[in-house]
Amino acid sequence: MADAAFVPMTAVAKPLRDRRLITRGLDRCSLPVFSAWLAPWFVMLAVGLYATYLALRFGLNQTNMDNRFAFGLWIFLDLGVIALGAGAFFSGFLLYIMKLRELQAVINTAVILGFVCYSGAIAVLLVDVGQPLRAWFTFWHPNVHSMLTEVTFCISCYLAVLTLEYLPIVLKNRRLKQNASFLVFEWELHRLVPLLAGIGTLLSFFHQGSLGGLYGVLRGRPFAYRAGLGIWPTTFFLFILSAMAVGPSFLLLVLSAVEGITGKKLVAADVKMTLGKISGWLLIPYVLLKSVDTLVWLHSTSRQAGFRPWEYYCWKPFGFWVLLAEIVVCGFVPAILLIRRATRSRPWMLVLSAALACTGVLLNRFVLTIQTLALPTLAFDKFMVYYPNWQEFAVFGAVVAYAVIVYSLSYRYLPLFPQEKELNRVSRS
Amino acid sequence: MFPGVDGFHWTFAHIFFVSVFLSIAAALAGIVIASLARGGRDIANGRAGQIRWSLDFAELPLELRQCRHAVTGEAPGRICPNAFDCRHCEEHAKFRQARAGQCDNAACGLFYPNYRYYHRGHTWVTPQKDGTLLVGLDAIGEHMVGKPDSVRMPAPGSRVVTNGEGWRMSKDGFEVRVLAPIDGTVVQTGTPQDGWYLRVQPDSHPPDLRHLLRGEEIEAWVSREIERLQCALSPDADTPLLADGGVLMEEFIREVPAARRDEVLGEMFLEP
Repeated sequence: MADAAFVPMTAVAKPLRDRRLITRGLDRCSLPVFSAWLAPWFVMLAVGLYATYLALRFGLNQTNMDNRFAFGLWIFLDLGVIALGAGAFFSGFLLYIMKLRELQAVINTAVILGFVCYSGAIAVLLVDVGQPLRAWFTFWHPNVHSMLTEVTFCISCYLAVLTLEYLPIVLKNRRLKQNASFLVFEWELHRLVPLLAGIGTLLSFFHQGSLGGLYGVLRGRPFAYRAGLGIWPTTFFLFILSAMAVGPSFLLLVLSAVEGITGKKLVAADVKMTLGKISGWLLIPYVLLKSVDTLVWLHSTSRQAGFRPWEYYCWKPFGFWVLLAEIVVCGFVPAILLIRRATRSRPWMLVLSAALACTGVLLNRFVLTIQTLALPTLAFDKFMVYYPNWQEFAVFGAVVAYAVIVYSLSYRYLPLFPQEKELNRVSRS
Repeated sequence: MFPGVDGFHWTFAHIFFVSVFLSIAAALAGIVIASLARGGRDIANGRAGQIRWSLDFAELPLELRQCRHAVTGEAPGRICPNAFDCRHCEEHAKFRQARAGQCDNAACGLFYPNYRYYHRGHTWVTPQKDGTLLVGLDAIGEHMVGKPDSVRMPAPGSRVVTNGEGWRMSKDGFEVRVLAPIDGTVVQTGTPQDGWYLRVQPDSHPPDLRHLLRGEEIEAWVSREIERLQCALSPDADTPLLADGGVLMEEFIREVPAARRDEVLGEMFLEP
């Protein structure tokens, strides 16, 4: 063997090999396999970027939306991912404020999911609103009477919070943390994460609520309009509660999907059960309040506006089944399954319940966005039908692809799961 | 929305909203500025090494974080609360008073002379007559990597701190950091052929070496480390192979399954 090469510590430049970026002791697939996994997502992202170009270059006539149907697939996507991404703020709140240490095992994934959900939502909003170069107008010349103003301010600030929470995770990369400056910055930033979690909770509380509130205040849309407390319609509170309930479920779903795809145990079973339990106990008050709210709406609020309950559900495909599916099948059923230890201790039941809970909240956002606009409100109105075109689906797909790519890269190159080494060592033996 | 901009009114709602928004924006900016300022101060005060070690220590598996007195059986299961720096541990003094005696520190044919002090990152320290301290790889460390392919040494005159980076070395493309066992200033660097790597002028005279292993506890620690190596060499990584009574071979890191070599190297030198 040749003599060892002795060189000063500061004058070494080594080729950057993929494995040197992967956390020591974590088993990851080869680079070619990883590239093959990413390739279709990059194609999907590229198609979405092309559709984005078309929408920004030629305007929203590139979509199937119009002046009557101004909210479509993209707004549904925004509402959906913002609800599902609530796992970030709620997990942070439970871990750093309520000191539920068990969630340390999933907090990194929660933050990344929150980051991709919110950044994806804002990206789609920029396409949907159009004229992104004038996006700053919303801050400088806001409509102070619109709940969207509060949403805009809160979402922008919260994305900054999520970026600051994501940054320490990125700086934990094996290669990056060799740099002393990155290391100490990550250390010091991480010490302030509880403060960030507090700010994130405050911001999330308001923008989740305001997203619901902006439907509840639509007096001209009796299907969405709700009475409320003070200036806040009931949808304000239901959106907050539903996002808190479904955030842990979505986290659970993603963890299960990643474990299924990678074939590794990443999080202990009891942590997943805790997530399910939290979700279940929050779903219960949500669906109860949602049921009460629906009954009050059907029997009082809506009648005062001159609409009888069945009128909303006689337009196909929005039958009464939608309401049943949202409140019973995707509300009460998963809530009961999740709060019962016997059912949530079965992995497949846990995942099924979480999937139902997520579906229920997505259905809620879909109904409020699409059904609200589709239903006629005046005597001469017609029931409107809207199908997204390929540009809308492509942009939707691009957000999904972006999320998968960011999460995949994070999973490969960052130490996301503190329990992974231990769990897989045990499973090997 | 903002004063001076069309649409702003000096009403409670406007002022409250702007105040809340600006407070949050200021808090976020403050967090970033505070982190940068504190980080800069940490680097200026030479705390980067300690910070790195505290992060690494927290990521080590539980069995690697056991107290030296847990290894010797005096405090079963005790996890070190001081990241292997016994100089700040009140319990440590009590345990040491309870122990006495010397032993012959040879295990598996490995040479662990009694006149040396040992760090759990597989380095030894030998006080010299001129007041300096020699630092080298212990027998397990040497047997594990043999002759490193390359070594990155600190420049003479630079400081090393206990549990900070001593030097880095690579073997077959796998790089690992070796922890410095003591505080001091590097006065000279050695080579594997010399049998030592660093000559350090300690910060204090006499040097404070209470955090290093010595005497009878070395045998218990070496036995534990051998057991860990046996686990690492086994196909399923958790069941120790039966010892055949032989001695450790040179460069035995090459006997570890390739997929786990990086991990084992990191665990032995306490770099997760």
